[in-house]
Amino acid sequence: MQKQFAELRERLLRAGVAPRHVRRYLSELADHLADLRAEEERAGRGRALAEAAALARLGEVEALAEAMIARPDLRAWSARAPWAVFGIGSVACVAVAYAAACTILWTGWRIFLPARETPFVAIDGWATAYFGLGKLLYFCGPVMVGWGMGLMAARQRIRLIWPPAGMAVTALIACMVQVHLRRPDAGSGWGHVSLGLTMGSTRGEILEQLIYAAALFIASLLPYAIWRLGRERGARRAA
Amino acid sequence: MRPMAERETNPNFMNGVPELLILRLLAEQEMYGYEIVQALRERTSDVVAVGEGVVYPVLHGLEQEGALKSRRKTVQGRSRIYYSLTAAGKGRLAKMTATWTSLAGAIGKMLGGSYAEAVC
Repeated sequence: MQKQFAELRERLLRAGVAPRHVRRYLSELADHLADLRAEEERAGRGRALAEAAALARLGEVEALAEAMIARPDLRAWSARAPWAVFGIGSVACVAVAYAAACTILWTGWRIFLPARETPFVAIDGWATAYFGLGKLLYFCGPVMVGWGMGLMAARQRIRLIWPPAGMAVTALIACMVQVHLRRPDAGSGWGHVSLGLTMGSTRGEILEQLIYAAALFIASLLPYAIWRLGRERGARRAA
Repeated sequence: MRPMAERETNPNFMNGVPELLILRLLAEQEMYGYEIVQALRERTSDVVAVGEGVVYPVLHGLEQEGALKSRRKTVQGRSRIYYSLTAAGKGRLAKMTATWTSLAGAIGKMLGGSYAEAVC
């Protein structure tokens, strides 16, 4: 039955059924099959016959898959609206990462460097770890969001077009983001940190940004691409 | 010993019936999938036979709609997912029962006269 269950899992995931429903469905079917087998054995059948009868009663893979696929309410959001999950969702995740990075920069400036006019000075001790977390989110956030998208796409067998599209959008945003700082006001004594999207004004600057975007895109895509290639190679070998 | 061939299910005229019967069963006590299928067969004398495996999408759908809730419970060393009715499920059962009763009454009335005579 392992083979049939594996086939059923693939069919359901490809049809967009949410992975949590697929996992539970397969687990319940496995339990149900065990109960049916036990029932058939109690009725006097031998092990092999009981197994065959139990499988026949459980239903064909086709019927089991169709029953689940026919319910749109059990489909994952990434299958119902991939443009929203991989487009809007990825932009929202990157925005959250940048907002967290800015918050860390601003609070770190206030906590560790209250008298300085800028937070971009030599630091040590706890400040290094605190600002380091912000830098990690700022520089690695887009790639981590890309990996997250790749992982989701792999789990849910999403069509090839969506994850790279989401990663490209994320990389383009990341290459245009710039942090702006304003010196502390004379009155409040607080500096300001803000983010903006800026495209370079010269051809050289634009090229530099695009190279950065390409590097982010490749770093985001790489694990997913390796997974897909491995999977396709495995499928070819099995065929 | 029963024959090994797949039992016949009755997909026509069954729209909404499995949901209604499952809700009715679960109004009495919490059950897991296998128990539900067996109870349906026994209580309807095999007249209503839902596919053994396809009962789960119905259960998942009802849970998704808030009519059922589920919990994992270990009984005699086996972990199973038990389903039970929610307040919304009770309301839905009442509504479906009323609809079904009025429909069945109307069909019975329709078939009662000329149909009954023709059959006899």
